[in-house]
Amino acid sequence: MDVAEIIAHHILDHDWGVSLAGFHLPITTHTVTLLSVSLVLLLGLAWIARMGQKSRAGRLLTTLSETYVSFIRDGIVLPNMGQEGRQMLPYFCTLFLFVLCVALAGLIPNMKTATANISVTAALALCSGGLILYCGLKFHGPIGFLKGFIPSGTPGWLVPLIFPLEVVSMIIKVCVLAIRLFANMLSGHMVLICLLLIIFVVGQMHIAAGAGALLPAMGLEIFMTCLELLVAFLQAYVFTLLTSIFAGSVIHTH
Amino acid sequence: MEDLLKPDYGVLVLTVCNFLLLVYLLKKFAWNLIIGGLEKREQQIANDKKQAQDARAAAETLKRELDEKLAQISDEAAKKVAEAVKIGETQKEQILSAAKEQSERLLEQAKTQIEAEKNKALADVRGEIARTAVLAASKVVAQQMSEESAKSVVDRVLEEIKAK
Repeated sequence: MDVAEIIAHHILDHDWGVSLAGFHLPITTHTVTLLSVSLVLLLGLAWIARMGQKSRAGRLLTTLSETYVSFIRDGIVLPNMGQEGRQMLPYFCTLFLFVLCVALAGLIPNMKTATANISVTAALALCSGGLILYCGLKFHGPIGFLKGFIPSGTPGWLVPLIFPLEVVSMIIKVCVLAIRLFANMLSGHMVLICLLLIIFVVGQMHIAAGAGALLPAMGLEIFMTCLELLVAFLQAYVFTLLTSIFAGSVIHTH
Repeated sequence: MEDLLKPDYGVLVLTVCNFLLLVYLLKKFAWNLIIGGLEKREQQIANDKKQAQDARAAAETLKRELDEKLAQISDEAAKKVAEAVKIGETQKEQILSAAKEQSERLLEQAKTQIEAEKNKALADVRGEIARTAVLAASKVVAQQMSEESAKSVVDRVLEEIKAK
């Protein structure tokens, strides 16, 4: 029994994509999960927004969605970005829900946590980086945005040193967004599969030992699944919060 | 396992496109409506709150005015009561004074009347006594004395009676 192979099989993406005229279309378990989550979110929220007031359940969901928007607006966007963040509110509402739902989708059988893929988290971080760049250019213009990388009061001779450092610092912040989400989601799933594998590894020694390990391992598995639920919410919140903080730091410079 | 950290650019591009498209579509078909509804409701709540605050302020102003009026009315009523009590006291004094005067006058009249009656009675008694005395004397004198001596005796008797 190759434990490493089993873990890798569980964690890694499986590509059965097609290549058309030299272009590879990545149809993988993660992209299918992403697309499914996107479709469900799109149809569900569009239904809530348009048809919500016509039924009791719809009104309940509308109230829920408005509460969610209030939470994102008053808890994340406005405190960190100020009134300028209002126009970016749809981005943050989508970001939180997307990261959360993709993480939760991993708990559904035959689906995988796409945010345990570095390419997916890098893509989300890239979008957040693009938003930060957009905010900087929109509110300060190209020159003002670049000036924002130089802290006020910096001596002139330090500018050539500080400027690249600040630029790299911002790039690293964005990269860390991707790595943090990826690492948290991956580690949780690795722990889950490892706990399950305890049963089979011990069971290989003796069938009775495997049966004995069943209950403790399943208890730990349930505990870790609950922890994964918490981590999913926490990481969605952290990713959204940090994006808003970085964007806010660009809008409201020193 | 080393594939874990190997980026798949196809997945990356697809995720970026998928996410940005999702942001755009959700903004167009969901968030704008939900945010619009939320802001409309918040505006309505803010308006209602402002109206309630205005109404409360108006009610408080009205209450203050009514309290002032009530206090004014209470003062006026107290003044009027005090005035009425004062007038009552004055009238009471006047009535008592008039009654006292009248009683004194009546008493005086009664005394005068009693004195007059008494004098009259005394005069009557004197006249009667005089007549009786004269009658008696005349009878005695008719038998024993001359008319002049009889008269002197009568006069003396009358003097003595007066002296008594």
